[in-house]
Amino acid sequence: MTPLQSSALERRFRVSGHPQLLISVLDVGLACCALEVGAAITAGLLVLEEPEHSAVLEPRMNVLLISGTVTDALAPGIIRAWEALDEPRVAVSFGACANTGGPYWDAPTVTKGIDQLIPMSVYIPGCPPRPEALIAGLARLAGVGDAG
Amino acid sequence: MIPTEAHGTIALQPSACTSCMICVRECPTWCIELESHTEQVSEPDARRPKTVNILDAFRIDFGLCMYCGICVDLCPFDALAWSPEHDLAATTAGGLVLGIDELSRAWPNRNPTSGS
Ligand code: SF4
Ligand code: SF4
Ligand code: SF4
Repeated sequence: MTPLQSSALERRFRVSGHPQLLISVLDVGLACCALEVGAAITAGLLVLEEPEHSAVLEPRMNVLLISGTVTDALAPGIIRAWEALDEPRVAVSFGACANTGGPYWDAPTVTKGIDQLIPMSVYIPGCPPRPEALIAGLARLAGVGDAG
Repeated sequence: MIPTEAHGTIALQPSACTSCMICVRECPTWCIELESHTEQVSEPDARRPKTVNILDAFRIDFGLCMYCGICVDLCPFDALAWSPEHDLAATTAGGLVLGIDELSRAWPNRNPTSGS
């Protein structure tokens, strides 16, 4: 088991204000940004689906949500997590570190954007982005789903 | 819900920017790009024409920006400000690079004396 598999949490959420979005999120929180995902849940912006409902409701899409700093050592784990995700799947990058390397843009061991590893659907800027920015970013997935 | 003074994004007031390049040089992630040229302005009664900077392009790459606020703090002309605007997610990495139009649209209206 890689460190990623043991730390990542797969949960099903409804996105506040977007009733058509039922998403299954594999939340890969690697640094400070991950706290904002928790903040979005606490604020009621991401509503956890009850497990008994989750069993019947098919999620509309599987989301790999990567928040935080991806080091080159973790990169193979990100690729494996993506490959293990069922279709329909999309990847969302949350925060400057995941988007481009962010504050570590000059560090030799930090991946300069996870789009170097896997195809991205949505990039959410911020260091860290606000929980509301996460919801606004996830709302972009409605369009992604319609197109695909 | 989001306070008006929230640090959602950084906005630009292009008319206040003198293209002095201080923000560009001091940004720790070098995510600000600025293009400008100089023009001679002749004023009646002036002994000689004045040289002014004309701002041609101003871009912030919010993929790289670490929201440290150094540019906002150091701008001597208050041409940069925090804005509560936060809905800036993009479907491409290049979509996180915002130019003059987008940056000035985000200008906060909490202080009517400092801009539109
Ligand atoms: S983008 Fe900023 S807040 Fe997010 S993980 Fe990187 S350093 Fe931390
Ligand atoms: S907030 Fe910091 S990182 Fe972002 S543009 Fe300003 S100086 Fe650069
Ligand atoms: S510091 Fe202010 S005036 Fe100088 S280039 Fe930057 S935004 Fe323009």
